[in-house]
Amino acid sequence: MDYDNMMLDGESLGPTVKISAADSTHVDFELTNVDLSFANSLRRVIQAEVPTIAIDLVEVEVNTSVLADEFVAHRLGLIPLDSREIDQLNYTRDCDCENSCGKCTVQLTLHAKCTSDEVMKVYARDLIVGIDRPNNHIGNPVITDPDGLGSLICKLRKGQEIKLNCIAKKGIAKEHAKWSPTAAVGFEYDPHNKLHHLDLWYETDAATEWPKSKYADWEEPPAEGEPFDFNAVPSRFYFEVEGAGNIEPDAIIQEGIKELQKKLAGLIHGLGENDGMNGDYDGPRSPDAMDGGVGWQDQGYTTPYGNAGNASAWGGGAATAYGTTPYGNSGGGW
Amino acid sequence: MAGKTRARAAEAEEVDQADITMEDAPPSAQKPGYSQEEGSAMQEDEGEENDVAGEEEEEEEEEEEEEEPQRVRILPGSTETAASFEFLKEGHTLGNALRYIIMKNPGVEFCAYTIPHPSEDKMNLRIQTYDTTTATAALAKGLQDIEDLCDVVADEFWTQRDKFNAAQNK
Repeated sequence: MDYDNMMLDGESLGPTVKISAADSTHVDFELTNVDLSFANSLRRVIQAEVPTIAIDLVEVEVNTSVLADEFVAHRLGLIPLDSREIDQLNYTRDCDCENSCGKCTVQLTLHAKCTSDEVMKVYARDLIVGIDRPNNHIGNPVITDPDGLGSLICKLRKGQEIKLNCIAKKGIAKEHAKWSPTAAVGFEYDPHNKLHHLDLWYETDAATEWPKSKYADWEEPPAEGEPFDFNAVPSRFYFEVEGAGNIEPDAIIQEGIKELQKKLAGLIHGLGENDGMNGDYDGPRSPDAMDGGVGWQDQGYTTPYGNAGNASAWGGGAATAYGTTPYGNSGGGW
Repeated sequence: MAGKTRARAAEAEEVDQADITMEDAPPSAQKPGYSQEEGSAMQEDEGEENDVAGEEEEEEEEEEEEEEPQRVRILPGSTETAASFEFLKEGHTLGNALRYIIMKNPGVEFCAYTIPHPSEDKMNLRIQTYDTTTATAALAKGLQDIEDLCDVVADEFWTQRDKFNAAQNK
């Protein structure tokens, strides 16, 4: 851990975290002495790239409820399933198995039939979780209500029946929001808008018309007549992470950072493998030194002076101080 | 492609001969009916004459060339100290943080990123360095720096979490 604190903004203190509130579904914390770009990366990664498990495939055997099969399947997908220790589960695409197995999926079955005159409600607790899974909590429907019911899946009237088999898979929210570990992530900085990153609309006075952030007391308000500091950068970030229940909120942050590091490690690995590739290629090009974007090739018009384009008495298309120009294709290395 | 390239080189020679009489004339004035390609080939040829050493280095690079799908690629036209990298399956999450941390490297003159088109899962990163380092080295250092920063933040978060929990249970 040889991270150089001198690299950071602020008083080279290094990043600090202050947790202001936490419970089983929330964590509110302040992250200081990091750059906006890093804080935002953290927010993005915990919202979209932390893996969880959710129902992905539904085989409907019987569905005589009023809801269409795909409607029920969609509702099933959105039920949060326990995703703690998700590392023990493979992505189905990476798994050695043919279609699905206990190492990459969790099976859930649901069978409900209404026989009484009253409307029957089918809840997430009625899902029966298969035993072939890496540990005995992964894939369990998340049940947090005092009655222990879980999410409502559908309602059945007398004689209606629903029987289906679900396959839950590991995934990330970038693919589908059902895999999101978070319900919401609050991200805030500069409550007094000292940096002018916001342009607040107002009738007569922005300060009185806009409600104060709860973090406004945490930071000095701007002094009367204080000049705008155009060099200032944000350094205090207020996160309010609200979990969906499938992973504990503190673990979401931890997993998020881990996921970011996995991304980096993969790239460091890929970079070591192959980094010379200046070959023939018709796609986008690196802008070449000094080329100014245009001018090396005939621009499609000439002047009667025979001196069109960029070529001039200064040496036509000859090399610049930066060496040969890579445009066009010589037989050489480019 | 290689065949095409060779043909162009031959044309370039032809152009070069023409150049004996029309030294500094632009491609458009060389001979009527010259195409753009030929014109540029000539320019390339002149470049070679003037910078033989640079060309040798670039040939070495071509030998390493490998056509495999890879996460990071240097876009053609890059030099040691000024390179553009194309990242597949990356976006603002990595791009902006990487841009920031590479810019913090004192050996780096310029660093910026772009997502050229929103429906392509690609992120391009441009790095220009001073002579003290290379673009690839700056990128590798940048990646390592964020990884170290992540370690620090993860550690800090976890110690603060433990502290918070301890305070709550009192």
